[in-house]
Amino acid sequence: MKTALLKKASKVALVLIPTITLSMAATAHDPSMHVKKAEKADCSKMDHSKMDMTDPVAIAMMKKCMKQAEKSNDKMDHSKMSKEMDHSKMKKMTDKNEKKDDHDEH
Amino acid sequence: MKMLKLLLLFVILGLGVVTTVMYSGIVDVAADEPHSDFVYWILEETRENSIKKAAENIEVPDLDVPDLLLTGGSDYEFMCSSCHLAPGQTESDMSLGLYPAPPNLTIAAESHKGHEHGDGAQNDRKNFWVIKHGIKASGMPAWGKTHDDQRIWAMVAFIKRLPTLTPEQYQVLTAVD
Repeated sequence: MKTALLKKASKVALVLIPTITLSMAATAHDPSMHVKKAEKADCSKMDHSKMDMTDPVAIAMMKKCMKQAEKSNDKMDHSKMSKEMDHSKMKKMTDKNEKKDDHDEH
Repeated sequence: MKMLKLLLLFVILGLGVVTTVMYSGIVDVAADEPHSDFVYWILEETRENSIKKAAENIEVPDLDVPDLLLTGGSDYEFMCSSCHLAPGQTESDMSLGLYPAPPNLTIAAESHKGHEHGDGAQNDRKNFWVIKHGIKASGMPAWGKTHDDQRIWAMVAFIKRLPTLTPEQYQVLTAVD
């Protein structure tokens, strides 16, 4: 009985140990860990009030974020927009949230 | 004459020992098997003194220029950070696997163990020389073959500020345009 149990345990160990080892190795060498992603600057976390604008790091960060903002503005081609946008089909440009002046005393 | 014969014998014996060591395959070149302290010390002293001598006459330009940080930042991210790390990172596959281990450039030079770094300008000169010429059998490439001096100085400027950067600042400075 004991020997049968030992045999079973050693069989399970024989299967489990290489499986766990191999799966750990596969995780360590996941190709996504080595891929460098070209990320855009995350300028949302910049706190201008805490920045020393004489510091080259702060100036460089400002330059980068301004350049990025300019580029994203350039991507919106307003000249094409006016031709493709059919204003006649648009709802009347009244703002639902517009506060109406209800008072009639003046 | 007797002295000369003895000297010749020593030279032949020395060459014999070197040849035996070379061709026997007894030297372990595995990167996961470190040198003895003595061998490491010899190699490190040789490397540090060689760099110091080669870099001593390099003139350091003004590195406090914001544009240098931007150029150097993106180059550092794509060419250096996998070995020399980024703020908030303590290790990478490369930093663990290379031998000798590449220095962690996110911590100040004075904190690196093992050897002295000298003053700021001396450190800048050394960094410029190492980036431009690389170091034999260490994994450090000679970026001077593909990058001009201006671009290498930009990397030096960025590396100078790197230990003071937060992960957020690093992200902005190294991001693509």
